[in-house]
Amino acid sequence: MRRLRDMRPGFMLDHMFTRRHLAEYLDGELDARGRDRLRDHAHRCPSCHRLVATLVQMLDGLRGLGQAPPRTGSPISDSVIARLRDEPG
Amino acid sequence: MTPAPSKMTRTSYAVILRFTGESAEAEEVVREAFLRAWRGIDRFERRSQFFTWLYRIGLNEAKRRAGRRPPAEPLSVEEGALEQTADFTHAPEPRAEQPDLREVLERAVRALPEGYRAPLILRDVEGLSTDHAAEIMGLKQAAFKSRLHRARLAVRDAVDAYLTGEDA
Repeated sequence: MRRLRDMRPGFMLDHMFTRRHLAEYLDGELDARGRDRLRDHAHRCPSCHRLVATLVQMLDGLRGLGQAPPRTGSPISDSVIARLRDEPG
Repeated sequence: MTPAPSKMTRTSYAVILRFTGESAEAEEVVREAFLRAWRGIDRFERRSQFFTWLYRIGLNEAKRRAGRRPPAEPLSVEEGALEQTADFTHAPEPRAEQPDLREVLERAVRALPEGYRAPLILRDVEGLSTDHAAEIMGLKQAAFKSRLHRARLAVRDAVDAYLTGEDA
């Protein structure tokens, strides 16, 4: 494991930058310079590398859930229309 | 353009089912949301799209029903998770095969506290824009983003535990 004294100057600043701007990075809202800084740090920091990698993997998985939407047994729209027909007025 | 009713029911059902985890209840919630929308159509102010309004009614109904159930053990979305610097340096390598990742994700999403579950479903599962999802939730963008990120970190922890075999 890397010790603090072995780390190059600025490592902890980059580390904090990565944690602070992770959400913007994941949403593609970080500018090119910020993206490079974050990626460069994640490449050298095992902890951040793992954090970013699993978040990206998780987001892929969540998008996959949305692409295979659950199906209903019967068309809900039919039963909604039937109920609306029964509505007074 | 407003989607056709059948598409609206399908999409609403998908969102609500992810929220409730129960297909019968999700169908009831969607029906109730449509009926409420129909009855309250005069109150629809056109400041947002009809679908946005319908989503909001559906999510509020789902939350109302969830509030009547005894709370399950939720995932922690403690503030400050963003700044934590946990050391994963010596964590085990991820499992090669992941046949149950989908189930782990579904379970983790359902275990989120309500106020965090909906942002994640709307944004990351359904792929709505941050603007649209925040509008449905009735939240300002900054508040929405904060909840979304905390929800992501909580679900990520569950995924990480699964990948490293710590959930077994």
